[in-house]
Amino acid sequence: MKTQVMVSQEVLKQIGLPAVLEACVCRTPQGRRLKNSTKFYTPSEREALREELSAINALKSLAEEDHPEFIEAQAQLSRLRELRGTLSRLEKGSLLDDTEFFELKGALKIFYRISRLKKLLKAAGLTFLVTKEASALLDPAGSGNPSFHIYSSYSEALTKIREEKKLLEQQIVHLKGAERQNLLSKRLLLLSKEDKLEDEIRRDLGSKLANWLPEIRHNTEICGILDFRIAKADLAVRWKGNLPTLAEKGQPAILLNAIQPVIAELLQKQGKEFTPVSIKLECGSTVLSGANMGGKSVALKSIFLALLMTQLGYFPLCEKLQTPLYDFMAFESGSDGDLTRGLSSFGLEAVQIRNQHHRSRTESGLIVMDEPCRGTNPPEATAIVQALCKVYAESDSSFFIATHYHVNPIRGIRFYQVRGIRPERLAELPPHRAPADLTKPGLEVNRSDSREDVARVRRIQELMDYHLEEIDGSSQIPSGAIRIAELLGVEENLLNEMKSALREEKWQN
Amino acid sequence: MPENQNSLLLMAGLENLRSLALIGMSKNAGKTTCLNHIIMEWQATKQTRPLALTSIGRDGESEDILSGRAKPRIYVPKGTLIATAEGALRRCDALLEILELSNIRTAFGEVVLCRALSDGYVELAGPATTEEMGTILDLVLSHEPEALFIIDGALSRRSQAGSGASESVILAVSAETSSNPEHLAEKTHFALEILQTPSLDPTPKKLLLDFLNANKKVRVVCVNGPEDKAAISGMETPSVIGFGKDIAGLLRKDTQILFLKGAITDQVIEILLKEPEFSDLTLVAEDGTRLFIKPVISQKLSARRIALAVLNPLDVRLVALNPTRTNSQSADASALLESLRQKLDVPVADFGPANM
Repeated sequence: MKTQVMVSQEVLKQIGLPAVLEACVCRTPQGRRLKNSTKFYTPSEREALREELSAINALKSLAEEDHPEFIEAQAQLSRLRELRGTLSRLEKGSLLDDTEFFELKGALKIFYRISRLKKLLKAAGLTFLVTKEASALLDPAGSGNPSFHIYSSYSEALTKIREEKKLLEQQIVHLKGAERQNLLSKRLLLLSKEDKLEDEIRRDLGSKLANWLPEIRHNTEICGILDFRIAKADLAVRWKGNLPTLAEKGQPAILLNAIQPVIAELLQKQGKEFTPVSIKLECGSTVLSGANMGGKSVALKSIFLALLMTQLGYFPLCEKLQTPLYDFMAFESGSDGDLTRGLSSFGLEAVQIRNQHHRSRTESGLIVMDEPCRGTNPPEATAIVQALCKVYAESDSSFFIATHYHVNPIRGIRFYQVRGIRPERLAELPPHRAPADLTKPGLEVNRSDSREDVARVRRIQELMDYHLEEIDGSSQIPSGAIRIAELLGVEENLLNEMKSALREEKWQN
Repeated sequence: MPENQNSLLLMAGLENLRSLALIGMSKNAGKTTCLNHIIMEWQATKQTRPLALTSIGRDGESEDILSGRAKPRIYVPKGTLIATAEGALRRCDALLEILELSNIRTAFGEVVLCRALSDGYVELAGPATTEEMGTILDLVLSHEPEALFIIDGALSRRSQAGSGASESVILAVSAETSSNPEHLAEKTHFALEILQTPSLDPTPKKLLLDFLNANKKVRVVCVNGPEDKAAISGMETPSVIGFGKDIAGLLRKDTQILFLKGAITDQVIEILLKEPEFSDLTLVAEDGTRLFIKPVISQKLSARRIALAVLNPLDVRLVALNPTRTNSQSADASALLESLRQKLDVPVADFGPANM
């Protein structure tokens, strides 16, 4: 995933990928390894991704009906242990000890139990190889008992020695002193013979089991894949993820009601609801503008997460999603400057802009930028943003940018905005009253925001309509910052100055 | 004079117990000898419940690592369950059937649950923490719900809110601690007092346990203010030892309870005693084995009106005396026994060397 996903760890965290991985609970070490490898499906692996998603879809149906085979598979998988060490020792011909035989016996039993879950395996699109004979080696009596020791039935000589030893032990328990010591010494002699025979049997068992290594390895791997698919199906049920449609190259990505799970959960705890995000991202540039506090960043992250999850083989948290497969995905957040290391945030941004652009010349990517050039002077920032939109408008990549800077509409650039606060809802907001201390002239006002102000900011947030809507590029509206200042009680003469300065600025442009 | 062996089960009331811990007052106190006596007597009296054995730390080795002196081995009958690390498993000579791999790792490998299919010697090297011991107990019970679970070394039961049951213990005492009968009786009396520190009252105990369950990494907890409006705060430290000053910083004037997870030593308490807020409160340990304090410190705590309490109370059923010392000299066994019996409320016995 390192080369295909151009996103810093910090930003991945903000987007919510670690939360997805954490919520996707694998039961086997093999499944966890697959999950942690975060495989990114490239366009050339489209068929593999389609198979993966369709298996998850079929497993999801079983999960939704609490199908007994689904529950049984989970129970069996949770018993599977890490087998790499034991299998590699088996391959090298090392003498295995009884705990390793026990481990293998347990694994073979799990393979057998899961291989009988026909409906589940059909759904998962997986097949187990038969290892019945290998199982029989570790359970010579065919008792089905999961425990293990070197059974007497492996060798007549062993049976005989153990019988002799047992007779001694039956006497030892009743004896004391020298007589007891005498029998204990005799027992010791038998023990060394027993040990030798047991080791011979272990060596023989090991070499016989080694013949089954390919099958055991295959089945172990299948368990890992099954475990990971089951975990993803389970996650899709819990988080209401849906099967995405894989579109052809050049087709738009269309998302209907995408959700960012971490923020959604946070809002739910506060008794609020996440506003799902819908958008159509064509090849070329898409510009998202809108009011301050309008949730542009959240929209960007929700969309990126849904598309990233899809290409990592998960069900996106989206009512409906169709997407082409991108060669790479990049998310650049202007706030990501590593200020603690004293690096300039624009310097780092410029490096990313260079890398992404370089890559987009030969590959089709999804490149998302959250308010780039935040700290740059406005004329140059506007120029940079305009240039990026223009260059990507003509490329095979999808460039999706949230910005406050004005972008001239040209062919290949589409515009979205956050709906913001509708005028009719503003009536719900009671008129602003200045705090008492502000009205007293000459009094020092405490900089910290008063409780009423915080409540009012919260109220404005509640009135905000976070839905995105496509707009005509020529009607890009200002971000609504002055409106918010007005709602928060900035005095009239200052407001009028702001508005007239804005008119002047527009006229000059 | 060694006691009649039949009396051990009766004296300690083992037949009705679910679990038992063997605790030694010093190194070579005779825990393993005592365990061997229990096993022999369990077999001799034809008990139907199986024994399940494990240890905290490492015991039953053929040689004492430090002195190189032979240590008594544990000889178990067929049917006994043992939980021991893979490394120790190789040194067992009983035929062992592997029942479970516990996923609990120790310095000697993973702890494995086995059943002895023949009589023979075993070496016990069980898990290191109380939580892991709880997991082992669950595994044992899933195979043998009726077993008597014996731990060579420390504790078995996990804290449970509202559980008033005490952990049963046999305390092994040897002349190693003192060969002077009066001194030994005095020291054992104090050790019993500390080991049997009473349980914290149910209401604050529940509060504390709920908090600890929700905050697994917390080692230090303060409960401040009156019981009906108690405010609880915790601190995560890698250990209690060496963090005396940080713990002291958490104390307030109205602190009612200070809980410390892990060993509570004289050194930790000395640092706390420098704080005026360290008074009129209850100092709580996980159980009596975590309190490593000398009588003089105990007196200082009393002077500050600091009571001691534990989450898991212990009930010492029996004191088992081993009158020999490391240099193999035997002290005056009958004088030691006599002195201990006079001083202690708990039954005291010398079962003699185990015939292994």
